Amino acid sequence: MANLGGAAGTIESVNNTDSGNVPLLEVSDVTVRFGGIIALDGLSFSIDQGAICGLIGPNGAGKTTMFNVVSRIYDPNEGTVSFQGRDLLAVPAHGIAHLGIARTFQNLALFPTMTLLENVMVGAHSQGSVGMWRAIARIGAARENRRIRDWSGDLLNQLGLGHLAHVPAAGLPFGTLKRLEIARALAARPRFLLMDEPAAGLTHSEVDELGDVVLRIRGDFDLTVLLVEHHMSMVMRISDKVVAMEFGRKISEGTPDQVRNDPKVIAAYLGAEA
Amino acid sequence: MLRIDEGSLRHWLIRVLGVVVVAFIVVWVPTQMSSSRIGQFTDAFILMIAAMSLNLVLGFTGQISIGHSAFFGIGGYTAAILIKDHGWSPGYTFYAAAVVAFVVGCVVALPALRIRGIYLALVTLAVAVLFPTLVRWKKLAWLTDGSKGIDSVRYEDVPVWPILGELKGREGRAVFMFWLGLIVVVVTYLVCRGIVKSRFGRALVAIRDNETAAAVMGVNLTTTKVLVFGVSAALCSLGGVLSTLKSGVITPDGQYVTLLGSIVFLLVMIVGGAGTLWGPIVGGLVYVWLDSTTRDIGTNDSGILGALFGWADQSPATLILGLVLVVIMFAAPYGLVGLAKRLGRKIVVIVPRPVGSSTSR
Ligand SMILES: Nc1ncnc2c1ncn2[C@@H]1O[C@H](COP(=O)(O)OP(=O)(O)OP(=O)(O)O)[C@@H](O)[C@H]1O
Ligand SMILES: [Mg+2]
Repeated sequence: MANLGGAAGTIESVNNTDSGNVPLLEVSDVTVRFGGIIALDGLSFSIDQGAICGLIGPNGAGKTTMFNVVSRIYDPNEGTVSFQGRDLLAVPAHGIAHLGIARTFQNLALFPTMTLLENVMVGAHSQGSVGMWRAIARIGAARENRRIRDWSGDLLNQLGLGHLAHVPAAGLPFGTLKRLEIARALAARPRFLLMDEPAAGLTHSEVDELGDVVLRIRGDFDLTVLLVEHHMSMVMRISDKVVAMEFGRKISEGTPDQVRNDPKVIAAYLGAEA
Repeated sequence: MLRIDEGSLRHWLIRVLGVVVVAFIVVWVPTQMSSSRIGQFTDAFILMIAAMSLNLVLGFTGQISIGHSAFFGIGGYTAAILIKDHGWSPGYTFYAAAVVAFVVGCVVALPALRIRGIYLALVTLAVAVLFPTLVRWKKLAWLTDGSKGIDSVRYEDVPVWPILGELKGREGRAVFMFWLGLIVVVVTYLVCRGIVKSRFGRALVAIRDNETAAAVMGVNLTTTKVLVFGVSAALCSLGGVLSTLKSGVITPDGQYVTLLGSIVFLLVMIVGGAGTLWGPIVGGLVYVWLDSTTRDIGTNDSGILGALFGWADQSPATLILGLVLVVIMFAAPYGLVGLAKRLGRKIVVIVPRPVGSSTSR
């Protein structure tokens, strides 16, 4: 059902759900066009609080574009996105983190000249308050630095990167940097974490390990997760729900088993491989 | 190679040693040197201030500016106008100049919100070219005195400060300007340091490294860029005030007021080390030292330099200066401070504390 009413419409849909589960994110009829290319074509889905939602689809299906819409990097041509009942499209890009939404990037978007610790500390930007004037006057800056440094250091340790804390990010292996992206995203104490292919470039055992990491942080940080991944075994193992996309459209949605056995999904993947 | 734990006694000793060495030089110069040498140090201070301000915008935030000579000029003119036309005491003009330049700097930052790289360079270039023209403009002559500029804006009598005592004559003025310059350098350094080692400073570097990621982390690109341009312009104007008070004059084509000033600030910053707190300070000292030495060489035509540069009709000073700067940039692509850090790490390594809340004080 189309949900055109923004915030008001969401509240209504909340009241209508039988299970009483409040959808954390609700994407309705979102269309994104780049010139002639239609990257997203009327996409709608929702994610419940506390769930791990897998988002799958062949290359070019529009998964990353979806992420960029939610993190307000792209403005959709049509459609609405609401987060906890709030119209997300009215929030500027830098306001997203303050709402409790964090993400990782498919092709890494780290700060290469900074050390791993500093990268994570920037991730905690929304958790601090010292602006330029207070920095110059040194009002509370040292205390805030200490608090954020400790918190960021803890996260690095949790993700097994503590020993690299003072090493610049540039030049480290891809898998390490992927994990750094997770630490940096967690530094914002998000409610909602979007992960764009976190397992890319990892070996088989590392992929399994990462699946456990995602499950663990979901519990530890009380997270809702939207996970884009091409490693089907991992997606199917840890997701509560899976959404499958092709050509910017949703082709299937449901439990991992339902989606895995959906003929449309099988056709999309076979078609992509052929 | 010596390994020293961060925060250990030996680490503190090294820090204290550094402070003592700097303090020793600072006291030694104005008490033991000739007034023309002291004046050269003040010139270096002026360049350090301008280069430190540029470093905030370019070195740390990655936003190119070739317009800082205009902010420098705004400082100089604000001071001159307030002192000559309104009878202000020179000391207060620092504050006024900073406020005026802050506002102008915020306005100049607006293009930086939309454009990047070479295009931003062009816009700020226009600012640098526009400023002297504007100052020369007939309709502003009532304020700026056109091409003639404003002169005799010095201190009537150098103020008497504790410790320094009464300073008289040319020499006394040189010593006073040295200490005044040093204070402004220290203030500028502390402002830059406060900014860089804070959440706001990390946001600046994040913008330099990856704007999109910075925004996703919650950094407001607009306010951050506007504020850092504003404060950078304000700091740069302090250098302009100092320069005007030292020379006593300001003209539309005065030192560092034209586009050339921006280029020199850029050189000083890069030679010293962009994106480091001490780079502009080292750069200012090295630049003034090279500038004065090459100028002396140029006047005699014998020896190796005469053979090398005898073909030039005029003094080869600028040529030699340029060549030396190019060599430095080749040898130390991250500036002299970058080079010093790299070499220093071969001798002493400061081992940082393990990270995390369990290990912190
Ligand atoms: N900034 C852009 N400009 C033009 N076209 C774009 C842009 N971003 C994405 N596209 C196009 O939109 C479509 C969807 O791309 P998207 O990156 O979202 O796919 P994806 O599902 O993430 O694929 P992959 O699995 O390869 O990461 C592709 O055809 C892509 O070329
Ligand atoms: Mg993608």
